[in-house]
Amino acid sequence: MLLGAAARMEEKGAITGRQRDQFPVGMRVLAVDDDPVCLKVLETLLRRCQYHVTTTNQAITALKLLRENRDMFDLVISDVHMPDMDGFKLLELVGLEMDLPVIMLSVNGETKSVMKGITHGACDYLLKPVRVEELRNIWQHVVRRKFSKRERSNLDIYKDFNKLPSTDPCHSHNQIIAGACDQSGRISKKRKEMHSDEEDDGEENDFQESDEPSAAKKPRVVWSIELHRKFVAAVNQLGIDKAVPKRILELMNVEKLTRENVASHLQKYRLYLKRLSAVASQQASIVAAFGGRDPSFLHMGAFEGLQSYQPFAPCAALSSFSPHGLLGRTSAATFGVPELAPAMTVQTATNNGIISHCAGDANKFQLSGLQENQQANLGQGSTTSLGLPQLQQKWIQQETNDLSAFFSGSALANTLSGALQRVTSSPLPPQELLESAQTKVSAQPPITMPSVSSELVERTVGVSANLQDSSISQQGALPINDGFTADKLQLHDPFDSTGGTRFSVNMLVCPSGSITASSNTKGGASSCSTVLLAPDTGRHPNYLQFGVAGNSRHDMNEIKQDHLHQGLSTGSFNHNFGACMTEQTNPNVPYLMPQMKPNTMASEDKLKQRNIYDLGIPKLHGGFSSSSCNFDGLLNSMIKAEKDDLSFTDNDLGCDFFPLGACI
Amino acid sequence: MRNLRLNSDSRRAARGDRAGALIRTGRILSRLGYLDEQFCQVEDLQDEASPNFAEEVATLFFKDSARLISNVEQALEKYPKDFNRWDAYMQQLKGSCSSIGASRMKSECMSFRDYCGQGNVEGCMRSFHKVKREHGALRQKLEAYFQLLRQAGPAGAATRPGM
Repeated sequence: MLLGAAARMEEKGAITGRQRDQFPVGMRVLAVDDDPVCLKVLETLLRRCQYHVTTTNQAITALKLLRENRDMFDLVISDVHMPDMDGFKLLELVGLEMDLPVIMLSVNGETKSVMKGITHGACDYLLKPVRVEELRNIWQHVVRRKFSKRERSNLDIYKDFNKLPSTDPCHSHNQIIAGACDQSGRISKKRKEMHSDEEDDGEENDFQESDEPSAAKKPRVVWSIELHRKFVAAVNQLGIDKAVPKRILELMNVEKLTRENVASHLQKYRLYLKRLSAVASQQASIVAAFGGRDPSFLHMGAFEGLQSYQPFAPCAALSSFSPHGLLGRTSAATFGVPELAPAMTVQTATNNGIISHCAGDANKFQLSGLQENQQANLGQGSTTSLGLPQLQQKWIQQETNDLSAFFSGSALANTLSGALQRVTSSPLPPQELLESAQTKVSAQPPITMPSVSSELVERTVGVSANLQDSSISQQGALPINDGFTADKLQLHDPFDSTGGTRFSVNMLVCPSGSITASSNTKGGASSCSTVLLAPDTGRHPNYLQFGVAGNSRHDMNEIKQDHLHQGLSTGSFNHNFGACMTEQTNPNVPYLMPQMKPNTMASEDKLKQRNIYDLGIPKLHGGFSSSSCNFDGLLNSMIKAEKDDLSFTDNDLGCDFFPLGACI
Repeated sequence: MRNLRLNSDSRRAARGDRAGALIRTGRILSRLGYLDEQFCQVEDLQDEASPNFAEEVATLFFKDSARLISNVEQALEKYPKDFNRWDAYMQQLKGSCSSIGASRMKSECMSFRDYCGQGNVEGCMRSFHKVKREHGALRQKLEAYFQLLRQAGPAGAATRPGM
């Protein structure tokens, strides 16, 4: 349905374009409900209101659709109780990644449910059976959102930081605004409602995001890694509790940055931190997933708690997503490093968003096979690939460490920059990684940190040109396919976990050699991380490691490297991996293996690595169509970057692999 | 508008023809509580583009609800005293019922959920049986209703009763 729907949407674009002028007539609504009766009635009711309706009975499909093209819809209506994904989760994701208004539908009108909807950012909560009168007015939510956004966009900053992607790897600001992307980097963020509820700082009600896609796009401030780092440094200096936008702004001393931008960013950051601490208690730390799962690695502080998901900073490639800023809800996992958090958050949020956008960026990246559509989810993978030069990472990389999980959707393609992910202690290298980008393979695992209750951490490693949506649970892990049929990578299995977070790790194999492995692990909400294995000619041992390590672990509560491995070795992973790998023929794959081992991997990791290796390698040799990616080039650049970054290896992270493109 | 329709319906209902029978049936179904306003709304959605919309929805409903009912049944069997699970399944069924306007069935679903909340197994079982009964009864009646509609032909469609 996804593809078909997408095609249909394209076709109707012209038609609806006309209709959109007569808004609310022709407003494009996406309706999601697993109950076919309700969906059918709802669809007809919406048509009766003269809206343009697309329906799906699966949340995953809905996410895919949305990620593919943010501009496709103006509004989303979703049921609360769905088998494949909790409606609230979908709500959050849509809010963060796409920043679209979402209306919740439910049979259940209990106060606590409604409250939950509001706090997760729903702009309305309707009870079934829905009446047509109620639906006639839903367009107001779209208008309201646009209206408030308009007031907050900041053109200047956008211009400053919006650099066109270039082949120059040394951009210090990685913001890549993908021209191809539809969105000029919307900043995903928690919904305003939520923010208002949660933020204690009154100043933080500003949002710098620009309007809804359907509205005129305004440039957004792109929070590049550099910028974000400064921000975090300023916040840390002031103390997170005392950090107020004005002071932060002063400390940052960045021209043309306004207090509103900072305020909005701060808000997201705070939310991110909150999430991290919330999630920390639950899931296995993503750090582990990152590959740096070594306990030592984890020292990252909060990371302990985090367990959950480590958001990987989306690769810069996200240019389109730059706004994401995302506090990645999912990435709430506090990696322990406050700075990371932002990165993380970004990731998650961006993951999804980015991925889709990455697709847009794919042109840059040209990874063969990068299929924009494929990217979807966890978008990051693709972005990096493109981007290698343009790493757009927003929060990414952890402030401190730079290595934030940086998954660039594009990373898929080449970005081995996955290395970013790491939350290494050495800030420098990551930065360089990012910048030099190019081949940074950022595995962008869209780690969706499971919400306190359960989140899937998904990390998609941006590898491979094709980003495929992995059927990752909720998040929709991003399977990256390089030219392969998306199906292959899709892991649909992960969804069967009940309640728990699903951990799906997509292993994507990059045609050029970077492999993103995403494995789906069921149950444990560990983060899913797609490990991006860079098939590079073994030059980047780190990468491999990282990639492998990056795997999210399921159920793991502690940060363990094995996550990755675990994921890999689990059955689910295996099968996914197999799927992924098959496509790639990577003669270099063997290199990966040895590399994977090294770094600080715990012994178990080694084991895992082997597993992964086993899984992957054989496959890798399979059909990698390296031709499709300019992987070599990327690798080279990555290698260069790596070299600089190798210093990271020392850090606690344990797995330095970031440099590897292995995205976590 | 509805009021007006009712007035004219009354007159039509008084007719001895099929259209009249249709109207009466519809009204009875509604008055007996089998169907509520939601069903009216569903019927209202019929137009030239989808002339049999209500019937399509009803068919879909019966198919889907059969599946949901069997889910509940299995859960009752396989997971004794797992009220949360039972409740979750029943909630799905309730949602379906409310979308089509099956009011009696819906209220049985609600009472089942109440029993779940109380942890009353006996009550759940009884109420589940009622749900099944209502389901069967509604199906019969709606089938008859739609058949009448078909027989009434275009004329019947034109005089579709406002329930």
